[in-house]
Amino acid sequence: MLLLVAPAALVLVCFQIIPIFIGMNASFRDWSLVNPAKTWIGLKHYRDVLSDPVFLYTVLPNTFMLMVSSVVLSLASGLGLALLLNKPFFGRPVVRTVILLPLTVAPVITATMIRWSFNDQFGVITNLLSVLGFPEIGWLSDKWPSFSLIILTDVWIWAPWFTIIILAALQGLPREPFEAAQIDASGKWRTFTHITLPMLKPVIIVCVLIRSIDAFRTFDQVWILTGGGPARETEVFSVYAYVEAFVHLDYGKGAAAAGLGALIMLVVGIGLYKLVNRLMEVSR
Amino acid sequence: MRILSRSVARVLLLASSLTALSAVGARAETTLNLCYMNHPVIAANVTILEKWAKEQGVTLNKTPVSYSVYLPKITQMLSAGATDQCDIIWNNDDWGQDLEGYLASVEDVTEVRNVAEGQLEPFHNKEGQTTAVPIVTTAGIFFYRTDLVPEDQVPKTWDQLVSVSKKLQEEDKVRWGYVGGMSYTNTFFSFWWTLWNNNCDIYEPLYERDNVKMGEAGWKPMTASACQKETAEFWWDALHANKISPPGMTTYSRDEANAIFQAGDAAFTVADTTFLGNFNNPDKSKIAGKVGIATFPQGPNSSGHRNWIDIWGWSIPKVIDAEKQAAAKKLLGAMMTDVDGQIEQWHLTGGPPPNTKVWKVLDEQDPNWVKMSKILFDSAHVHDAYYFRNWAATHKVYSDVMIRAMKGSREDIQATLEAGVQPIHDGAPK
Repeated sequence: MLLLVAPAALVLVCFQIIPIFIGMNASFRDWSLVNPAKTWIGLKHYRDVLSDPVFLYTVLPNTFMLMVSSVVLSLASGLGLALLLNKPFFGRPVVRTVILLPLTVAPVITATMIRWSFNDQFGVITNLLSVLGFPEIGWLSDKWPSFSLIILTDVWIWAPWFTIIILAALQGLPREPFEAAQIDASGKWRTFTHITLPMLKPVIIVCVLIRSIDAFRTFDQVWILTGGGPARETEVFSVYAYVEAFVHLDYGKGAAAAGLGALIMLVVGIGLYKLVNRLMEVSR
Repeated sequence: MRILSRSVARVLLLASSLTALSAVGARAETTLNLCYMNHPVIAANVTILEKWAKEQGVTLNKTPVSYSVYLPKITQMLSAGATDQCDIIWNNDDWGQDLEGYLASVEDVTEVRNVAEGQLEPFHNKEGQTTAVPIVTTAGIFFYRTDLVPEDQVPKTWDQLVSVSKKLQEEDKVRWGYVGGMSYTNTFFSFWWTLWNNNCDIYEPLYERDNVKMGEAGWKPMTASACQKETAEFWWDALHANKISPPGMTTYSRDEANAIFQAGDAAFTVADTTFLGNFNNPDKSKIAGKVGIATFPQGPNSSGHRNWIDIWGWSIPKVIDAEKQAAAKKLLGAMMTDVDGQIEQWHLTGGPPPNTKVWKVLDEQDPNWVKMSKILFDSAHVHDAYYFRNWAATHKVYSDVMIRAMKGSREDIQATLEAGVQPIHDGAPK
C-alpha cells in the first residue's frame, strides 16, 4: 500500500514540502537574492511585515475584500447561470461551452484583455461608455474603479467554475421533491428557496470553502491590472510578498510575508471549515 | 559465438569512433547562451553578435527574458552559481553595482573603454575594472511632432509646453499635448526629466551619485523641497487643471505612452532615443517621418539643460569556464569594432552606438546624429539611478509618493511630499 502512494508522496515532498521548508527557513534569515548571506536573524522579517502600515491597513483589508466580494459575486453569477443552463433550450450545448470559455483562458491573458478593454485611450469599453455619454472614469488609475475591475476580472474567471459544479449538482437532484412542490402549487421562487437551494447547500458550501482559500492568494489579475497601484492602494497579500521577494529581491522578507499569509489563511480556513460543518448540520 | 563476439566488438569500435568524432566536432564549435530583454535596440545589437558568431564559428543560443522577471531570474542564476544557463547577459546600470561581484572583468575586450566619460562606473568591480561591454548609450529625449510644431516654436520651458499643448488641443489638432510613462520604473519619462531640469534631485547634493559623498551629506532627501513641489505641481496641473496629459497617465508605462504618441494622439513625449526607430517606422506608427527631437523644456528653477545618459551592456558571469569567457569576449570585441553594424543599429533604432569611435564617423555623415549628439552630449548629465542595494525599493517609495500627490488635491501636495521624506531617507544606505 505504501509503495502505491510512494510516487505521489515523492512528488508532494519534492515540490511542496521541501520548498515550503526552504521558504520558511529563508524567512528567518538575511536572504537577499543579490547577496544570500543567509545569516540567522530570527523573527526580524516577521516583525517588519507586521509593523508595516501598508501590510496592516491596505494589504490585508484589500485581500479580504477581494476574497469576500469575488466569492459572493462569482457564486451568485455561477448559480444564476447554472439555473439557466439547467433548462432545455435550443443551442444549450453551445451556450454551455461558450460560458465555460473564461475558465479555459489563463488569468494573465484575461487580465491583459480587461486592462486593454478599459484602457483610457484605446479601450473598447471606455470608448463605448464615452459614446453613450457616461462620465470619464479612471478605471485603472483610481483606487475604487481599479479595485472593482480586479473583482470583475476575478468573477469573470471564476463564475464558470461555480456554474459547472452547481450545474452538475442540479442535474443530480432527485425529481420527487420538485414534483411534490408542483402538486402543492408552489411558486418558482418558493421552490427555489425552499427546495433547490437547501439541496444544493452542501455543494455550494464546499465550493465557497475551496474558492475562498484560493481567492486569498490571487496574484495574476492584480499584478497585470494595477500592479497594486495607484500608490499601493490595490495591493493584496500575494502582490506584497512578490514585490518584496522579486522586485526588491529580499527573498527573506518575501518568504516571511508569504509565511504570515499562510498562517492567516490557516486560521481563516479553520474558521470557514467550522462554519461549513455548522451549516451542514443545520441543513440536515 | 566467435562471429557474434567479433560483430559486437566491431559495432562497439564503430560507436566509440563516432562518439570520439562527434566530441571533437562539439569541441570545435563553442556554444554561447545569450540572455537578454527583447528591446528594439538590444535586438539590433544581437543581430550584430549573430553576424560575428557565424564568422567565429560560435553557436549563439538566444534566450529573450521578459523585463518583469529579468532581474530576479538573472540575480538568482548568478547568486546560485549556475553555469548552464547564460554565458552573456544583458546588464543595466540600475543594478550593475548589485551584480558586479558575480561578473567577470571585461577590461580586455577590444575598445571596451571607448565610451562617454563616467559611463562604465556603475559597472565597476572592487578593483575598478568594468564588468560590462556597452550595447548602447540609453538616454531620454524630448520628441515633438514636426507637422504640428515648427522647430522655432518647440517649447523651451514648462510654461511653453503647456501653452503650445493647449493651443494644439483647442485647434483640435491633437487630443493630448504631452504623454509619457509615469508608473513605477517609468518615472524618467515624466517626474524625473522635469525634476532634473528644475535644478532638483532625489537626494542632496544635487546630481551626486558617489555613495561616500552621499553618506557624508547624510542622504538627505529633497522630496519636500520647493523645486520638488514645483515639479509635482506642474504634473498635477498637466493632469487635472491644464489637462494637457491624460488623467490616466499615472498608470502608464512607456509602452502605453509610446502607443498614444505613435497613434498621433499627442504632440510631445519623452522616451528613450532608442524608440526613434519605432516612431519613424510606418508599419508601427501613424506619425512616421513627422518626429523631431529637442532639448527638455526647462522648469522655473532650472540652471540649464540636463540629460541622463547611461549604458546598457553585456556582461559575462564569472562562473562560466575560461574557454567560454574567452569566446564571449572575442565576440563582444568584434561587435565593439563593427562600425557598419553599429551604424545600422543607430539607423534602425535611434540608439547611440556603443563605441564612441563610431560617433566620430557619424559626425561626418549624418546630420540627424549630429543633432541628437548635440542634445544628449553637449549638456550637463546625471546618472538615472542611485547605486545602492535598496535603490529599487526606494525608487518605488518615491514613485508611490509622487503618484499619491497626483491623485490627491493640489493643496495636499506639500504634505504628501513631506510624508515621503522619512521613508526615502530610510531607504538609503545606513
